[in-house]
Amino acid sequence: MNTEVPGGEQPDPGMDDPSAGGVILRMLLGAQLRRLREAADVTPEQAGYEIRASRSKISRMETGQVGLKARDITDLLALYGVTDEQVQSRFLQLAHQSSRPDWWAKYGDILPGWFENYLGLESVSSTIRTFEIQFVHGLFQTEDYARAVTRLGHQTAPAAEIERRVGLRVKRQDLLARADPPRMWSVMDEAVLRRPVGGPAVMRAQLRRLIEAAGLPQVTVQVVPFARGGHAGASGSFTVLRFEEQDLPDVVYIEQLTDAVYLEQRSDVEHYLEVMDQLSGEALTPAATTLFIEQVAKET
Amino acid sequence: MTSDEAAAPGSGTAGKTGPLPFDTSKAHQARMYDYLLGGKDNYAADRVATEAVLNVYPEMAFAARANRAFLGRVIGYLAREAGVRQFLDIGTGIPTAGNTHQVAQAIAPESRVVYVDYDPIVLAHARALLTSSEAGATEYIDADLRDTDTILSQARQLLDFTKPVAVVLLAILHAIPDSDDPHAIVATLMDAVPSGSYLAISHGGSDLLAADTQQGILDAIRQTSQQQYSYRTHAQVARFFAGTDLVEPGLVPVEEWRPDPGNPSGHSPGWGAVGRKR
Repeated sequence: MNTEVPGGEQPDPGMDDPSAGGVILRMLLGAQLRRLREAADVTPEQAGYEIRASRSKISRMETGQVGLKARDITDLLALYGVTDEQVQSRFLQLAHQSSRPDWWAKYGDILPGWFENYLGLESVSSTIRTFEIQFVHGLFQTEDYARAVTRLGHQTAPAAEIERRVGLRVKRQDLLARADPPRMWSVMDEAVLRRPVGGPAVMRAQLRRLIEAAGLPQVTVQVVPFARGGHAGASGSFTVLRFEEQDLPDVVYIEQLTDAVYLEQRSDVEHYLEVMDQLSGEALTPAATTLFIEQVAKET
Repeated sequence: MTSDEAAAPGSGTAGKTGPLPFDTSKAHQARMYDYLLGGKDNYAADRVATEAVLNVYPEMAFAARANRAFLGRVIGYLAREAGVRQFLDIGTGIPTAGNTHQVAQAIAPESRVVYVDYDPIVLAHARALLTSSEAGATEYIDADLRDTDTILSQARQLLDFTKPVAVVLLAILHAIPDSDDPHAIVATLMDAVPSGSYLAISHGGSDLLAADTQQGILDAIRQTSQQQYSYRTHAQVARFFAGTDLVEPGLVPVEEWRPDPGNPSGHSPGWGAVGRKR
């Protein structure tokens, strides 16, 4: 969309809709633009002049309040002395990601904004680290298992809606089949394997799926067995998303019943990263985990 | 879980130290190195310590990149030109691009690599992320370099000690003080491998740094870090290679060891060499 008139400021897409996908990503990209601008010793006024916009527009871009347009980004990166084509194109790709309607847009009726944000971030991350205490992670779920989990959360929903929710979850798994998939490093409590969601047959198939997933080169699965006693992850499930860009901080995602929490302040993130590192160290090795899941499957 | 002295390798606890405690409140060399290389697996204490070192010696960032590039060239040489298929890499570090097994297995997929480290965070990352090619093997030993009994007995289960093994000790021996006799540790490891095996070392050079700079680095490390450093001279590092013949160009600053055109240029404070056991 490059229809703006020089000198004029158009309403930015997504401005009225703070829950639209990509808000977090926009914030991260905005913060990166600010760091680059400051490193290049450019004032907001100078930056604004470069893209025929006001100082406040720059400020809103840098705080993620407005969408980022490709032409503005190209001009600003040039002004800030970023000439590496790979860096430029990756930045543009992320900006595009932060504003475009994604494959999940058609699920808008069943998709809360906070989860849409997560899907946006998940799809551009380079590493996804998760800790699960209750359910197998969505990216590893079989259709039957996903259906059973969905029914638990939406007991009165009509069958058609349940199927759409299951469809969304299955579609999301395309991520792992992508040409350049993110690294998925998933640690889970033994309880996840033992709780026969959907009944023993569904669970056995789910455990087999988990073993298959663990065999993928980009996937690491580790279990923290009951026998290890208490563990560092007492506070519950959480996810740490990492991005390839050196400047972009990790983001912690914690799902709640009606909402989700995103943390990107380094001191907050670091606490979760430490717990994640500790859990990964306490867990069985990936090889031992596969044997362990096979044993649980026999007992299910 | 472990004794406090394990956290202070400088305190003369030779031999049977347990694993390091999981402690992110003090800087750890592996995570400082990760920070210097632009990684994100480091904590506030690691960054504070690294910045303190950079404040005294800004070239440390280049030194880390140069050491990493040296690793790539050394493993490449060993796998391609020396035909080595077994690697004992002690002091694994946080996985990043171009880890030992990736370099070796890209050249010879059947390469077997055993990593050794004593830091719980390094081990957690290594076990999860350093996965082998189908044809080769990658394994991990949780041990302190001083504990050569554990290292050798476990490595024997994974490597064939009747065939050449490359013992790789990059940027680790400086964490072993003279009181723990690093030369005896290296000799013990090299005694266990057959003739035709290789030894690769990189080591901070006390004669590659101005005296006040070196003191500044050591002071910064002493105040912030789990490890304490002992930099050594060219002659002291050369002694590690007793019983081996150095391959060309001998013991030189790491960036001068068979440089590739694409390697970063600059001057590092690290001596590096590869020797072939007679």
